[in-house]
Amino acid sequence: MKILLSLVFALLLASVPGWAVLGEYANSVTTDQQHMRAQLTETVRQGYSVKELRSADGKTIREYVSPAGLVFGVSWHSPFMPDLQQLLGSYYGRLQQAAQTQRRRRGPLVIRTKDFVLFSGGHMRSFEGAAYVPNLLPANVSAEVVR
Amino acid sequence: MKILRQGYAQFMFYSLLSVAVLGLAGCGGSSSNSNSNNNPTPSTADNTQAVEVNSGPANNYVNGIFTTVTICVPGSSTCQDIPNVLVDSGSEGLRLLSSAVTLQLPTITDNSSNTLQECVGFADGSYVWGPVASADVQMAGEKASSVPIQLISASATYPAPNTCVNGGTNDNTISALGANGILGIGNFQQDCGANCAATPPPTQDPYYLCSNSGCQVATVPVQYQLQNPVWMFPQNNNGVLISLPSVPDTGAPSASGSLIFGIGTQSDNAVGSAQVYTTDASGNFQSVYNGVSYSSSYIDSGSNAIYFLDATTLGISDCTNYPGWYCPGSTLSYTVTNTGLNGVSNNLTFNIADANSLLSANNGQNWAFNNLGGDSGTGQSTDYFDFGLPFFYGRKVFVGIENMTGPNGVVGPYWAY
Repeated sequence: MKILLSLVFALLLASVPGWAVLGEYANSVTTDQQHMRAQLTETVRQGYSVKELRSADGKTIREYVSPAGLVFGVSWHSPFMPDLQQLLGSYYGRLQQAAQTQRRRRGPLVIRTKDFVLFSGGHMRSFEGAAYVPNLLPANVSAEVVR
Repeated sequence: MKILRQGYAQFMFYSLLSVAVLGLAGCGGSSSNSNSNNNPTPSTADNTQAVEVNSGPANNYVNGIFTTVTICVPGSSTCQDIPNVLVDSGSEGLRLLSSAVTLQLPTITDNSSNTLQECVGFADGSYVWGPVASADVQMAGEKASSVPIQLISASATYPAPNTCVNGGTNDNTISALGANGILGIGNFQQDCGANCAATPPPTQDPYYLCSNSGCQVATVPVQYQLQNPVWMFPQNNNGVLISLPSVPDTGAPSASGSLIFGIGTQSDNAVGSAQVYTTDASGNFQSVYNGVSYSSSYIDSGSNAIYFLDATTLGISDCTNYPGWYCPGSTLSYTVTNTGLNGVSNNLTFNIADANSLLSANNGQNWAFNNLGGDSGTGQSTDYFDFGLPFFYGRKVFVGIENMTGPNGVVGPYWAY
């Protein structure tokens, strides 16, 4: 018996302009929105703002922006692991390093250092995580807001 | 022959590359039994698969639960036993190191010879990448026919997509994976499901079609995605029971138990006094500790500790040698209240011992620990409970599969323990 399989190809454009990434200026959230085919919600809170990108496939990315316009935190909730290189920018190497040194742990990844904090947890169909840069936290804003 | 044709002009980052009818070359028939929503029916198949917690094939795995899976060329008696496959209730689908598989299995391709490949990242920063192939999957007296499985590439024909690699470890060797593969027997029928069958595919689609000119994300009908093989068994297919013995509080070199197929379908898999906790659509339930509710909690045999809250919130220490595991000095006891979506709510008590002491006991030759714990997150607002393998010792844990009916009419996803 021959099995017929119908697949529709979709071509992701090879180059997507930069995302708003951790530690950088939040000037490209509109691009993220298009890339994720997501709904963008912006909320102004006391001392910072949150740009939330929510896509129909169940992924939510939040970018936490200081009054100076810097992304001081990011978070994700996604059925599959998101592209952390895009979200973490220059902090991506820290993730690589920790993934190598925590090999005996089989579970969530946790990084807690003076200049960078991250967790990556969950399971297939429900991954979640958050990262922030303590030095970039706006005045009187707790790291607990990054969620 | 089915032709799909839709316009995607409205999606700026996607264009329709090709509309194709794809054949699964040389593969046997699929068995898409419509088992869903039937009440469990009594059967007498051999449904008990041996599992063992030990250090694994790389001799360094703490709290790894392994079994032997038999795979066969579809529709044939050409088979191979793959030992040391990790039993993982936190994922779906059978993924095997290609280096461990000597069988020639048909891969899934389209009619342009593009091969279906998958790249899956895990929370710990590791990932697996390789083609989807078709195999009959046998465990105990149960057999699922023509199951899409993943062959984790030892030397990839196509480079893994950057978006999935995430800078983590390529788990494509025994030493990196610590196993010959992963047997995902979690709460869902497929690893992705309807999301990856949608057009256009999700932004974090794990499936790709690859040719010499590269790989592109692909929409894949659910029946060609990786399947939890259990729901494809002809009987005892509504979930599994993982049963592990108790181990001493100082740990044990190994622990032998059972992976029993079906829930409430035979005398050996009755739920009995276990409580049923249904989960949300993502497989999570609520845990309340110290008056604070953590809504993204789950049970995962593939997590090797009870990862819960964080050292700061708990006011205990992380280990110096083992960052992310708890070293409280002396053993501490915790009580948490777990509540299912169905409102069933009960307290659960577990202990956390000092990881340094545990790992140095018995000259470092203990591998099964009921009291190893670590950080789930970095602060109270993002914390949760990941009930890993320590939770499984000394109890029966039932994993109910989505859309499948269990005892008293409960429909998965659910847990019972």
